[in-house]
Amino acid sequence: MRKILSPRVRGYRQDFLKIAQVYPVPYLTGGSESSCVVFNLDTMEAPPVTMMPVTGGTINMMEYLLQGSVLDHSLESLIHRLRGLCDNMEPETFLDHEMVFLLKGQQASPFVLRARRSMDRAGAPWHLRYLGQPEMGDKNRHALVRNCVDIATSENLTDFLMEMGFRMDHEFVAKGHLFRKGIMKIMVYKIFRILVPGNTDSTEALSLSYLVELSVVAPAGQDVVSDDMKNFAEQLKPLVHLEKIDPKRLM
Amino acid sequence: MQREEKQLEASLDALLSQVADLKNSLGSFICKLENEYGRLTWPSVLDSFALLSGQLNTLNKVLKHEKTPLFRNQVIIPLVLSPDRDEDLMRQTEGRVPVFSHEVVPDHLRTKPDPEVEEQEKQLTTDAARIGADAAQKQIQSLNKMCSNLLEKISKEERESESGGLRPNKQTFNPTDTNALVAAVAFGKGLSNWRPSGSSGPGQPGQPGAGTILAGTSGLQQVQMAGAPSQQQPMLSGVQMAQAGQPGKMPSGIKTNIKSASMHPYQR
Repeated sequence: MRKILSPRVRGYRQDFLKIAQVYPVPYLTGGSESSCVVFNLDTMEAPPVTMMPVTGGTINMMEYLLQGSVLDHSLESLIHRLRGLCDNMEPETFLDHEMVFLLKGQQASPFVLRARRSMDRAGAPWHLRYLGQPEMGDKNRHALVRNCVDIATSENLTDFLMEMGFRMDHEFVAKGHLFRKGIMKIMVYKIFRILVPGNTDSTEALSLSYLVELSVVAPAGQDVVSDDMKNFAEQLKPLVHLEKIDPKRLM
Repeated sequence: MQREEKQLEASLDALLSQVADLKNSLGSFICKLENEYGRLTWPSVLDSFALLSGQLNTLNKVLKHEKTPLFRNQVIIPLVLSPDRDEDLMRQTEGRVPVFSHEVVPDHLRTKPDPEVEEQEKQLTTDAARIGADAAQKQIQSLNKMCSNLLEKISKEERESESGGLRPNKQTFNPTDTNALVAAVAFGKGLSNWRPSGSSGPGQPGQPGAGTILAGTSGLQQVQMAGAPSQQQPMLSGVQMAQAGQPGKMPSGIKTNIKSASMHPYQR
């Protein structure tokens, strides 16, 4: 089955999930029960789950996030500590190229989609992700919470998005290590700026630090997840201070 | 009577063991001082002193224990004095007292200190009594206060020196870098292709499309969705030709909306 995008979509977030099949992409979202979806363009139709557009009924997945950074010279000690704390598996490195697309509509705030492809794993699907605004309000919640939709797609994703009217806003290369502990995913990666647009070979590091992200994708309402994350983050102190960083504060 | 005897015996045993411990630690301290004088460090000497002080404390506690009868009330009277060697006595005193004779007895069984020592003690007590209770109390308080001040100063110094020494080595993360990286991932600050000006380049998220109108294109472009299905998706107006990577930047912000249907196709 050729896995490509179906153009028969009416909306982005919920509808994508409704008319698609689930395809597990463990290395991208961490955990075996991730919810990535793949479309079928062969028959120009959605797979016959239901022929009518479904409204409502999807599980709203939220991403819980804690971020921090570590300087280059302390990376080794952090990696050792993570190897000890996290699930026992071969250390995984990744080299990804991420592009962020914006759709500017009549509304003031543009719609953002993130497309990510793996540069070192041949044959891996592209990864399309929507991240909502962080949910504010609960000061006791230790992690940043935002709505999250993850989809695996085929290679013609960028063409499709351009045809739909998206324009690429920025892109970067992320190179680093991936760890997992239960449903928690820990990524330690360095961000490289792409000097010549479209050319992923000419990159330069953005800073002398690695970004450390602890994230969990879970259904909405499970705030106990953030407590587990906070406990894990305690164990990484004082090497790294993982905290909830509000991106709006940094604009 | 019996109970008292038993108590006496028990307390004597306890006292004996305590004194033996004290003797041992004193002995080892003296050995240490004599043999390792060159290598001795102040903390090691302090350790020995602390050990001795602890043992004296326990000795005091044993003596003050409620089950201990007042030894003051007991009197030891030598019954037999003989100039012959006594093997039992030798064994019990570990070879120190071979003979229980009239030379040994006054030293071992004395209850009063030396006359000189007694004089000094009497002097001290009269001095203390002369000062008066209030003055004595004040002196005690001032001594306590000075001691606590000194302790505080020392502990503060220790704390500061420790943290000062550690801080330059232990910096494993830089908060500025954290913020920069998070901003880069969240909305592309410093990554934007259009303004490749340093890591702090303004990647303004509010106007991502404003700066890239191609000179020469009319802007009247209609983008048709490939493979439009039977659902009548109205044409999306190709508004900003914000193709990434175009070097011709004209921050004019011209937006031309053509025939955008009333129902935005991507309304959520």
